[in-house]
Amino acid sequence: MSLEFLTLDAPAVARSPMERQARAAGARFEVRDGWNVAVDYGAPEREREICRTAAGWADVSHLAKLELQGDHGLAGVTRRGGAWWCPVSDRRALVLGARGSMPGPDETEPEARVHVVEVTSNFAALTLIGPLAREVVARFCALDLRPQATPVGSLRPGSVARQPGMVLREGEHRFMLLFGWAIGEYMWTVVQDAATHLGGGPVGQSALEGADA
Amino acid sequence: MSRLPEHPGERIDRQKVIRFSFDGKTVEGFEGDTVGSALYAAGRRTFSRSFKYHRRRGLMCCSGQCPNCIVAVDGAPGARACTEPLREGMRVEHLNARPGLEFDAMRATDLVGGPFTPPGFYYKTFIRPRRLWPLYEKVLRHAAGLGRLPRQQPERMWRTEYRRRHADVLVVGGGVAGLEAARAASRLGADVVLAEEGPELGGRRLVDEAGEGIAALAQDLRAGGVEVLTRASALGYFDGIVPVWQGDTLHQVRARRHVFATGGIEQPLLFAGNDLPGVMLSDGARRLASLYSVKPGSRAVVVTTSDRGLHAALALHEVGVEIAAVADLRQLSGAPAQDLGERGIRVLPRHTVVEARGGKAVAQAVLAPVGGEEADERPLDCDLLVVSGGSAPATSLLLQAGARTAYDAARGGFALSELPDGVQAAGEVAGAGEPDSVAPSGELAGLEAAHAVGLGDERSGARVPELREALAVARAGRPAVAVPPPASGARRGKCFACLCEDVTSKDIAYSVKEGYDSIELCKRYTTVTMGPCQGRMCQLPSIALMAQETSQSLADVGTTTARPPWRSVPMGVLAGRPIDPAKRSAIHGRHRDLGANVKWAGDWRRPYDYGDPQAEALAVHHGAGLIDVSTLGKLLVRGAEAGAFLDRVYPNRFSDLRPRRIRYGVVSSDAGRILDDGTICRLDQETFYVTTTSSGAGAIEEWFSWWLADSDLEVRLTDLTQGVGAVNLAGPRAREIISAVTDVDCSNEAFPYLDARQGRLAGVRCLILRIGFVGEVGYEIHFPAAYGEHVWDALLEAGRPYGIRPFGLEPQRILRLQKLHVLVGQDTDSESTPFGAAMPWIVKLDKDGDFIGRSALEHYARETPATSLVGFTMSDGHVPSEGAVVVDERGTPAGQVTSSRYSPVLGRVIGMAWVPSALARDGVSITISDEGQKLTAELRTRPFYDPDGEVLRS
Amino acid sequence: MSFLLACPNCGVREVSDFGYGGEISSRPGAGADFRQLNAYNYFRRNVAGVQREWWFHRSGCRAWFIAERDTRTNRVMFTALPKDVPPGGDSGPAEGPEPKRLAVS
Ligand code: FES
Repeated sequence: MSLEFLTLDAPAVARSPMERQARAAGARFEVRDGWNVAVDYGAPEREREICRTAAGWADVSHLAKLELQGDHGLAGVTRRGGAWWCPVSDRRALVLGARGSMPGPDETEPEARVHVVEVTSNFAALTLIGPLAREVVARFCALDLRPQATPVGSLRPGSVARQPGMVLREGEHRFMLLFGWAIGEYMWTVVQDAATHLGGGPVGQSALEGADA
Repeated sequence: MSRLPEHPGERIDRQKVIRFSFDGKTVEGFEGDTVGSALYAAGRRTFSRSFKYHRRRGLMCCSGQCPNCIVAVDGAPGARACTEPLREGMRVEHLNARPGLEFDAMRATDLVGGPFTPPGFYYKTFIRPRRLWPLYEKVLRHAAGLGRLPRQQPERMWRTEYRRRHADVLVVGGGVAGLEAARAASRLGADVVLAEEGPELGGRRLVDEAGEGIAALAQDLRAGGVEVLTRASALGYFDGIVPVWQGDTLHQVRARRHVFATGGIEQPLLFAGNDLPGVMLSDGARRLASLYSVKPGSRAVVVTTSDRGLHAALALHEVGVEIAAVADLRQLSGAPAQDLGERGIRVLPRHTVVEARGGKAVAQAVLAPVGGEEADERPLDCDLLVVSGGSAPATSLLLQAGARTAYDAARGGFALSELPDGVQAAGEVAGAGEPDSVAPSGELAGLEAAHAVGLGDERSGARVPELREALAVARAGRPAVAVPPPASGARRGKCFACLCEDVTSKDIAYSVKEGYDSIELCKRYTTVTMGPCQGRMCQLPSIALMAQETSQSLADVGTTTARPPWRSVPMGVLAGRPIDPAKRSAIHGRHRDLGANVKWAGDWRRPYDYGDPQAEALAVHHGAGLIDVSTLGKLLVRGAEAGAFLDRVYPNRFSDLRPRRIRYGVVSSDAGRILDDGTICRLDQETFYVTTTSSGAGAIEEWFSWWLADSDLEVRLTDLTQGVGAVNLAGPRAREIISAVTDVDCSNEAFPYLDARQGRLAGVRCLILRIGFVGEVGYEIHFPAAYGEHVWDALLEAGRPYGIRPFGLEPQRILRLQKLHVLVGQDTDSESTPFGAAMPWIVKLDKDGDFIGRSALEHYARETPATSLVGFTMSDGHVPSEGAVVVDERGTPAGQVTSSRYSPVLGRVIGMAWVPSALARDGVSITISDEGQKLTAELRTRPFYDPDGEVLRS
Repeated sequence: MSFLLACPNCGVREVSDFGYGGEISSRPGAGADFRQLNAYNYFRRNVAGVQREWWFHRSGCRAWFIAERDTRTNRVMFTALPKDVPPGGDSGPAEGPEPKRLAVS
């Protein structure tokens, strides 16, 4: 008996804390990897356009997350097999990515005394993407996200909308906000309020994948 | 229309007529006008009524520095007419005059009120009888103040955008010095933001040369990547953060270095009637003429302490204003006096103005030799009285940043004497305002700022000494001109030191007589410098008056502390977005679907009930109830020494807890006081799962990690509070219900009380804790939050045949109270010890080693606490309020009721209270004083429901 | 109040990102008398000057660290994780950085 109860492997559908707001905004859902994921908001072309010209936000709470505690040996944020490995302190790190990109138990080296905890539903997440993404984040977050201070591939733990959070810069115009699961509804409201005012809108997975390509 | 002929540099486009309304009447202006210039051109002289005496006030500075032209635009009070750009159809209204600007009934306060309304008069006058204060207040509020807000505002009527902007360098001030600084820094690669308060860049250059050359410079800056903000006021300096208010945006600029090129503020003069419409600062009059082609008057008298006024006289004469006379307070005027002489304009040396006369506006200015007799006075007719009391460096932001000023006799004011780290000053504010030094001083500040953030090269390094040298040369070549502090005659009409708050020179004298004889006290007593101009117009005059009244030098009087905001700002700009950071359980959506009555509980939004708390409580006794307890704090404590660690942060023992067993724990402080409580479950040898109260989750995680921070215990914490959802299923049918959906054997034999199991429930992996604090058989089920709704639905579905009901916090309070379970924070406070709270068994003093609170608890264990927490039941049906006082036989307070509820299953009122320990026995009757009522209660030390826990364990 | 503080893990943040843990004080050992206990629990030196104190990066990495700060100016001399704190110095309390440690049995 240890931490099996933290594992997300039920035949049931896992849901993001922002699912209801996404639905109210017109999301079309598909179950992927056991998660109800907003694929699009009825107009994938327009969503892609928003990502190119303004700022789109997408709920990516379904990404898998692991916490590593111990001597993780990471000097900085690294990308391994499609996952982000992010040191938070010299004793703690987060690994985030699609479920398939998560390291197996052998990769986290038990002999290095790294403790691994599944924290997928500890952190809800939103990806902001588009030329105005940084402006949107600046509406509610005081972290310095200018490229000279936060280059692509860096993680900034700090206050996001007055709540503990983290910002991961995934690309020049792409930021992932990580925050507590219980403040999902609040964060969606904050991001929606800021982004809509700047011409942004909610976008689904397909727009996000389109931007990746 | 008093427009001048077209001239180059004017900002108006005469082809484009703009119509707007002022107090309901249509007025026309041109594109490029401000509200102020258009109204002035249309003949308006009175723009506002003053704060206290309702005197007429007109344009004075024409640059947004004074309070005189404050109006409401489209219903929003607080706009400065002289800088507000004209827009088609805008609705402009005056403030603070009833019924109208031209006839204001409150004007009576000026005519009769002067001697009767010294500072503080209403505190002294309207205090008795006290019961009439609400009435007084209503009348006074009506009489004073500036404008009124619309009664109702749709939420987003004036939306403010909050924008955080990091930068290498922030330059405040868009005059030549600021622009040069921005250019120099940005050329070295710095990320620069420049904020200019006015509508246009250029600073004094706008007055002197209508902004010649500024556009090109600005173009250069923007091309170089500088973010140039206009109409953007820096409100203050907060340890490196400068909020810059620009229309509907509040930029919170966080720069590594700051360059303040805030310039100087032309000062008014003190003389009787110095507030009459038509009394205008020299720059103001020139702005009207040069930028908006508005003729400020037809016949002017000019009074000045420096060449500034002389230049103004020349410029006004140029555009056709007749100059009746120029009074120069100095003995020797500067070079422009000669030019004036050539034009046949006489300059009177050592002369000043002692009174402005007129009804609706200036009609006459009385000039007199400085310190002269009444016989020497000469009244001169005029409709414009141009005054220039020199320039006070705008040091407020610098002072807020930690700079210091000292009185500089050569400049007749307070000048910068010391700069803090991280901050540069440039241009006039730094004493380098003259044409030969303003640009080098800006460039120097820009270079130094860039160097300080690690930019620059050899060339830029070499440029610094060059610029320093140039500035030194310019300074050396300048004759020192001592300006007499302008504090003249208060012997006739009112002479205003402060226009915003209507503080006269007499008021300052009065304040000194009353004993408020330091400038800081005087400020608080008279409110001088505390109005919308924030001291821009009145700081120096009030210091001069204070010096005169107390026979001190200005240097001795000193200045008041500079505080934000440097510019008056609408509250709405500072209020933030109306979005509450609420935590919600992953099941919250379901609670809404079920019509829960949701309220705040700490930072969480939680269901208090689902419509019928009593029935929900009864359902738990009769069938089953389900409550969302996802808000509980959940900490994973792991590592070889996890047990040893828990032994040290709890007064009881956990290292001997067997895996899959659960124990209750109370966290106490080193003072032996209760901090929190919860259950601790050992998952395996090295892993403990600790729950805390909902409100204590964050604090306990901090507390644990604090004790770990400098320890070398091999322990790791992970906070799972938000990642793990939890529900409590309780009631006589709970076992049947859970067994229907889980593969875990839930029979009492296989899964006894205080045991824990892992398994699947409705397909979801769960940790099931056999605990209950509501008096019935209970299972607390923990699972990944993402499956919250699924688990909740499955349990409600399985429980339907058994009469399951969701229950909220309110029924839970009733159920807990029946069991006399202490609710930390409700039944305990920061002084409660486990002994007082009737939990001595939780303290294991026989435990080896130290633990937090040990020493204190050892002391408390030896003595009887003064009061103890016990249960009580009421003899009648009265529910005493929580917080009601327990009194002794003499009626003296001796304790307090902390919880009270009607229990539907018991059919009576029960509660918990702190009572003197000597009384804390079963059957003792106590008196509760509840808002004047005396109630009798009977004490109970054992749970009301299932006192021996048989139901719980069954 | 607003000033910047450098979290040893995350870097510079505004002070509102952090929780304040108070000045470093020395925890009396076993058998302390009431007077010592009360001094420890309820009294603070409340220095007007440089002191060492605890801070918690509440909005970020959630780690405790120690800062040396001038309480008059809010100038921060250094911040460091407890294990990296330089010994006492003239400015710090004589007890050094780890006086609150629980006695290990
Ligand atoms: S005249 Fe508009 S603020 Fe002074």
